[in-house]
Amino acid sequence: MSFWLELAASGLITGGIYAVVAIGLNLQYGLMRIMNISHGEFLMLGAYLAYWAHTTMQLSPLVALPAIFAALFVLGLLVYRLCFRRIARTAPNVEAIEARSLLVGFGLMFLVQNAAYLAWGADLRGYQYLAETVNIGGALFGANRLVVFAFAIATSLALLVALRYTLLGKAVRAMMQSPTGAQLVGIDTSVLHPAVFGCGLGLAGVAGALLSMVYEISPSMGEPYTVTALIVITLGGLGSVSGSLLGGLLLGLVEALGMHFTSPSLKMLLSYGVFIAVLLARPRGLFAR
Amino acid sequence: MRFGGLVAVDGVDLEVRERELVGVIGPNGAGKTTFFHTLSGVLAPSAGRLLVCGADLTGRPAHEFAAHGVARTFQTPRVFPGMSAEQNVRFGLEFAGRRRSHAHDAFSDARAILGFLGLADMADVPAGGLTPARQRLLEIGMALGARPGVLLLDEVAAGLTEAEVELAAALIRRVRDELGLAVVWIEHAVRVLMQCVERVAVLHQGRKIADGLPHEVARDAAVMEAYLGQDAIHENGSAA
Amino acid sequence: MTLRATLKLTLAAGIVLAAGPWVLSDFMLSLTLTCLMYAGLAVSWAMFSGATNYLSLATAAFFGLGAYVTAWTLQALPWPVVVLLGGLVAAAFAALVGAAILHLRGAYFAVLTFGLGELVRHAITYFEKSYAGTVGRVLSATPEPATVYLTVLAIAMAAVCTCALVRASRLGLALVGIGADEERAQTLGVNTRRVKIAAFALSAFFAGALGAAMAVRWTYIDPPAVFNAFIGFQTVLIAMVGGAQTIIGPLVSALVFSLLTEFLRLQFPYLFLMILGTLLILLVLYLPGGLASLWPLLRARLAAVGAWLAPLEDRGRRG
Repeated sequence: MSFWLELAASGLITGGIYAVVAIGLNLQYGLMRIMNISHGEFLMLGAYLAYWAHTTMQLSPLVALPAIFAALFVLGLLVYRLCFRRIARTAPNVEAIEARSLLVGFGLMFLVQNAAYLAWGADLRGYQYLAETVNIGGALFGANRLVVFAFAIATSLALLVALRYTLLGKAVRAMMQSPTGAQLVGIDTSVLHPAVFGCGLGLAGVAGALLSMVYEISPSMGEPYTVTALIVITLGGLGSVSGSLLGGLLLGLVEALGMHFTSPSLKMLLSYGVFIAVLLARPRGLFAR
Repeated sequence: MRFGGLVAVDGVDLEVRERELVGVIGPNGAGKTTFFHTLSGVLAPSAGRLLVCGADLTGRPAHEFAAHGVARTFQTPRVFPGMSAEQNVRFGLEFAGRRRSHAHDAFSDARAILGFLGLADMADVPAGGLTPARQRLLEIGMALGARPGVLLLDEVAAGLTEAEVELAAALIRRVRDELGLAVVWIEHAVRVLMQCVERVAVLHQGRKIADGLPHEVARDAAVMEAYLGQDAIHENGSAA
Repeated sequence: MTLRATLKLTLAAGIVLAAGPWVLSDFMLSLTLTCLMYAGLAVSWAMFSGATNYLSLATAAFFGLGAYVTAWTLQALPWPVVVLLGGLVAAAFAALVGAAILHLRGAYFAVLTFGLGELVRHAITYFEKSYAGTVGRVLSATPEPATVYLTVLAIAMAAVCTCALVRASRLGLALVGIGADEERAQTLGVNTRRVKIAAFALSAFFAGALGAAMAVRWTYIDPPAVFNAFIGFQTVLIAMVGGAQTIIGPLVSALVFSLLTEFLRLQFPYLFLMILGTLLILLVLYLPGGLASLWPLLRARLAAVGAWLAPLEDRGRRG
């Protein structure tokens, strides 16, 4: 019994990370039709920042989380200003915005990843943090994993609350539903778009920082998460943050179980399989009404 | 046609006979364009059936509708901006047009169609460079290139001057008279449409509230009520 | 340039280049080989993605698949069959994937094709370990370098000719229509699903065949070696810089980039890739049509200069 608990927990923990990454991408794509394929690279940057904070300043990654979010938020503003704003202005239609931001993201991916290789080298790095095991009901969990899960859920819920109850959050939701209507009411896209983009990257950084507590980091660690984030968005429905949360957890669970019965190397095949199955059965997401 | 919780088109039955010129009118938001989307296969209806010349095409993709002779234009002209006018028309001929032989093969090539529409001297101009009025005509040309049996026209008159609207209406009559096509025509310029068509259907909030001869529909109480506050329809269908 | 002219020119270039193994040094031959490979990859990529705007990032997956087909079958089958099979396997895989994801929006399609490289790599690693009990494979009894060169030359020429033929055909027209306005094309009778899958598979064929042919340049291959994201990236960059809507653009661009890569990549691997990444970003932001989009501008300028230089009487005569 405890074995299954551990397996499920492991899946949920990974799923929590997936949720945080997916929410960021969901907001960006749902609002601006920017599919930032380099999203995973900013997760990697967050991980390295946490590593650096821990090894040089002995700072707990949890304490550093807000700062990491802020740092990547600012980076996101910069990236948006330099790379994506022009696309929104010069593209003739939505399809062109999507296509061009994909290409820019592709270039950005190589730029950021290789900058990391240049700066830090290709070796895996890691640090120990809260590595003691905790016993809950006979099942053993790493304390750091529990903390990761808690913070991932907390972050996702915080974002849900922000979207639902703050003015800025409502503005974002309004814009996602009706861009013209929102602008007529006075919501300023030139402020909102960079802010949401920055928020998305900030979330990716937080996910990376959380991951660094549990796994070793390397410059190429972020790549798979972009694809997974897309799968989660599809599961949960585009534009739905709660859908991304549930979808992420679900995907994590399915992967953990699937990998147990087949093999860890088939993880991607499993996720793709889930993706295609969901698309065929419920194209608008598992939770769409 | 249901979108999530919104029912855009609710139980609209429309029968179009060969060589019939039918108008579809209704206030904004009545569901006319959505209705067209289901008629052309762009959207699959949530319920109901679509029969084209006896073939059940419900839920089939748009290209099958085209192959069965349903061609349409869009509310804002969707031409291929990078191609010349002639290439735009030829597109339809190359695909849907290939599968259909039509009684009126006066249209064996794109230039003939352009000539019919009065666009012959614009043949090599990139479609993106044409005026909106000409783009509308070109769109009709593209649809004709598909050698249809039924032509669905979505708001031909929007943005046109009075004179241009009259020309367009005359063209639509010619399409029916000379080419033998059935035409279903959505329009806001109600007056012109009422003078042109032989039957009118009125949509309001997703439902069909009237279907008959123009002058009868113009006097229909439900129709007048639907239009109240916008354009009241008087006798002979002149707009207020 | 007309179809016939393009085909003739390609044939002529092919004959000239076929002399390579006997007139070029080993180094130059290797360089030309890389250049031909990228030319073939870029042109076949542009054939589908340039026309339809469905960005495929799966080139690495198809290339690697082709390479593994060689690894599996080189001992058992004659060389031409191996290469052909590499292409066919890649095409079949592309058709399967395409049927599953080509009806999605372009953004979804791009990200999912990007993940395909990882997916195929993991799947093959698993398969090799579980069923073949190996981690990598040694390639022995490989053909002569001259044979490899001529094979790659032939595939590249075939890619260019196919691209030209497609562009002049109904398929090409359908692809352009899909790229311009997919829904409109559908309402005019194009079976967009079938067209997209067919073109995607066709472009994958060349990537797979090239992977199969180039595989023999390694004596030992394992998944990380042949499933290399850089190949996919380089292909996209070359096609975009050259101008994905043309044929000549990617060809010239392939030449330039092969040279750059050869001389810079080993010296400054990471910096080089950073520069390439930046280049792609700048290109897409400021010159989305690639360098080929500058050509009409250039021609217009040249024509204007020519008119200005013409003596007065000529100008009067031309009127």
